[in-house]
Amino acid sequence: MSTADLLPLAIAIPLIGAAFSALVGSRLPRVATDLLVTVWAAAGVADLVVLWLRTGDGRAVSWLGGWRLRHGESVGIVLVNDRIGIGLALLTAVLVLAVIAYSWRYFDEPPAEHAGTFPALILLFDAGMCGFALTGDLFNAFVFFELMGAVAYALTGFRIEDPRPLQGALTFGVINSLAAYGSLLGIGLLYARTGELGFAQISQKLTGHRADALLLTAFVLVLTGPLVKGAVAPFHFWLPDAHAVAPTPVCMLLSGVMVELGVYGAARIYWIVFSGPHGIPQHVFHDTFVAAGVLTALVGAVMCWKQRNLKRMLAFSTVSHVGMFLVGLALLTPEATAGTALYVAGHAGAKAALFGVTGALLDRFGSVDEHSLYGRGRELPVGGVLFVLGGLALAGLPPFGTALGKAVAEHAAQSHSPWLLAVFVLASAATGAAVLRAALRVFAGAGRRPLDRHEVPETTGGGEEPEIRGPSRRVPLPMLAVPALLLAGSLAVGLLPAVSTQLAQAARLFTDRVGYVAAVYGHSHAAGMPPAADWTAEGIALGLTSVALAVAFACAALWAAPRGGGAHRVVAPLRRLHSGHMGDYVGWLIVGVAVLLVAVRAQL
Amino acid sequence: MSRRLRLALFWAAAVVFAVAFTAACTGLPDFGTLSHPYGSRAIAAAFHQRTANTISSVNFDQRAFDTLGEESILFAAVLGGLVLLRRARDERLAGVRRGRVLPSTRMFGSLLLPITLVTGVYIVAHGQLSPGGGFQGGVILATGLHLAYIAADYGVLKAIRPLAVLDAADAVGAGAFAVLGLVGLAVGAAYLQNVLPLGTFGQLSSGGLVPVINAAVGVEVGSGVVVLLAGFLDQAVEIVSPTGKDNGAGR
Repeated sequence: MSTADLLPLAIAIPLIGAAFSALVGSRLPRVATDLLVTVWAAAGVADLVVLWLRTGDGRAVSWLGGWRLRHGESVGIVLVNDRIGIGLALLTAVLVLAVIAYSWRYFDEPPAEHAGTFPALILLFDAGMCGFALTGDLFNAFVFFELMGAVAYALTGFRIEDPRPLQGALTFGVINSLAAYGSLLGIGLLYARTGELGFAQISQKLTGHRADALLLTAFVLVLTGPLVKGAVAPFHFWLPDAHAVAPTPVCMLLSGVMVELGVYGAARIYWIVFSGPHGIPQHVFHDTFVAAGVLTALVGAVMCWKQRNLKRMLAFSTVSHVGMFLVGLALLTPEATAGTALYVAGHAGAKAALFGVTGALLDRFGSVDEHSLYGRGRELPVGGVLFVLGGLALAGLPPFGTALGKAVAEHAAQSHSPWLLAVFVLASAATGAAVLRAALRVFAGAGRRPLDRHEVPETTGGGEEPEIRGPSRRVPLPMLAVPALLLAGSLAVGLLPAVSTQLAQAARLFTDRVGYVAAVYGHSHAAGMPPAADWTAEGIALGLTSVALAVAFACAALWAAPRGGGAHRVVAPLRRLHSGHMGDYVGWLIVGVAVLLVAVRAQL
Repeated sequence: MSRRLRLALFWAAAVVFAVAFTAACTGLPDFGTLSHPYGSRAIAAAFHQRTANTISSVNFDQRAFDTLGEESILFAAVLGGLVLLRRARDERLAGVRRGRVLPSTRMFGSLLLPITLVTGVYIVAHGQLSPGGGFQGGVILATGLHLAYIAADYGVLKAIRPLAVLDAADAVGAGAFAVLGLVGLAVGAAYLQNVLPLGTFGQLSSGGLVPVINAAVGVEVGSGVVVLLAGFLDQAVEIVSPTGKDNGAGR
């Protein structure tokens, strides 16, 4: 089997697995189904590991259906990727495997006559995300974007007994579908102009046109879908509403990799399709999306700090981190891209682990409310340790992968605009601090018992139904073992030098439009030098600074005298914007699109 | 946000969007020109593959991988529908009331049901030759079955709707598409490559892999849509929420 064939197999394996699981799930005992699905997910991981190894520091190209280029033109679809996209697909497959293992004892009450439905949906989600990460075709990317959307809406609303998940799923579905229409309109504009759908082919044809209103509008519209999926402010409103109510294993996938895929898609599409001659100039993308990323990082950090519903807190932390990822990618340098890739990998392990422990809390106590869980987590010491470690990883404690990625991205940002450093440090410290504060309250009963006062209407996270019901009151082993393994994975990203050097090589390819186009057209192209992506004393110091700040914030929240005042007046209106009203969110969606249109036009 | 503020924001942004999109449309190629870069290539490729219906050639051969994704979206929608529409713990089943139908309606229904099903099979089977194919034919098959609901009542529909079989058929159809792609890999060609004998242009057996995938999609769409509609109809007709209100849709 050639390397190229492994690309479509990464998508076909989970698709076939999903059909198989739906077919036999209701006919086999639960254990057999779980085992089968685990083997299937592992096969997906194995395929991508081999693909990662064989691709090396180059690109894998696969023309589906054998419709190769003839005279420089093809009617088919090409899958093409470097280790950034393959790495994201691998991350997806590993998280899916983790989620399936985590769910072995989860959902004792799936739809009785359709027992295989949940694993089938998870595998379809896997296929959608891998397809989106690996494709080199704009319309194909849209199809897989929709596949992961359709699955994610259903998985979000999985617990139908409670109206909240349905509300969250509906908001998620409507906002993401509207954004997808935007993307489709944009794809239509590009197709009308070029007659092509492949990233590289569109890019080549666009060089013959000047940058006009069509290009600008298509650029903004095509990017709307990925940016909404990537929860970039002001497109982020759906995310906390969906994450707070989705089943915990699903949150691990949504936060760990799906949201990141949105930002990846935006950067990939810009680099290959729009960054060529007569395209959207680099300074325009850079300025616009560094600003958007900083806004997202700060909004997410502030909102994360103010939450008491643990799942909502983790969701806003994802918003904040995705803001930093966007800043990293929008810097448009190989070094920042390498840092972001490492950051995403490290973050996925830490964030999925935190959601996993939260799921154990929910299972045990039927609540994810930081206040009402005060001190009750003492009987789950292992969970407490994992939660604290997760918080420290989020804040950027060396040698976690998050710290390495953040340090490399910070180094790249610093040489560009030093103030970005403050954004990175503050946002990671605030999100880490919120998690540490919650961990100390819940698992150690630290600080005063929180008062139950409501300054603004807020989501408490109490009165949730446990997602599992079983006769045993013990937390099932996988629900703590899987988070521990995920944290170990985050640690490995930081500790294994091979990972960082290989991602640095891949980042060089990711930022090389000419090389990508040459790979598709079968030309040879010499690549430049990879950036450095190693631990530095400066990076370690910055990581430790974030962690020290996070610990200080958390301690201040627990033990310092409460103060009202200025901060509250700033934060309360921001919290009120997150109203849960779908009309508001649709309004923000179109406002965001309009602002992008105006901002990009003004800079051209 | 107040309603007024929300609307004001929306309209301000909508105006910007409308202006930008209108300006973008002025950059589109004119109507009625002879230049169709993808169209010309796709028609040539369809001829080469001896597939008379170019649309089917694009859908099931040239860009079959897109269709695999789309068909998986439908499969996911059916599974998701099953999950969301399942009977909750606090809902119970009420009996289905028998409906009263005019004899003429009943007669037309009984007459048209088999005709519609045959039409559906025809549309699926001739996808490589004439407009239609697995998606269109599948929808005709699924809706044809529901003539029983219109011409008789829900009980009759349930009797002629083998849900367990259709459930399985849905999964088999969805999986078959992805498995058919492996045929190419097995003979050393690319994934989803049309490696079957192409037959004679214009014959029912032409097109190689195209009619086979069409059949798989037809099975998946036909059974999937029935299963999905069954979920909705059960909710509307049979399932009673704990407040005890009958939805009043039962006939």
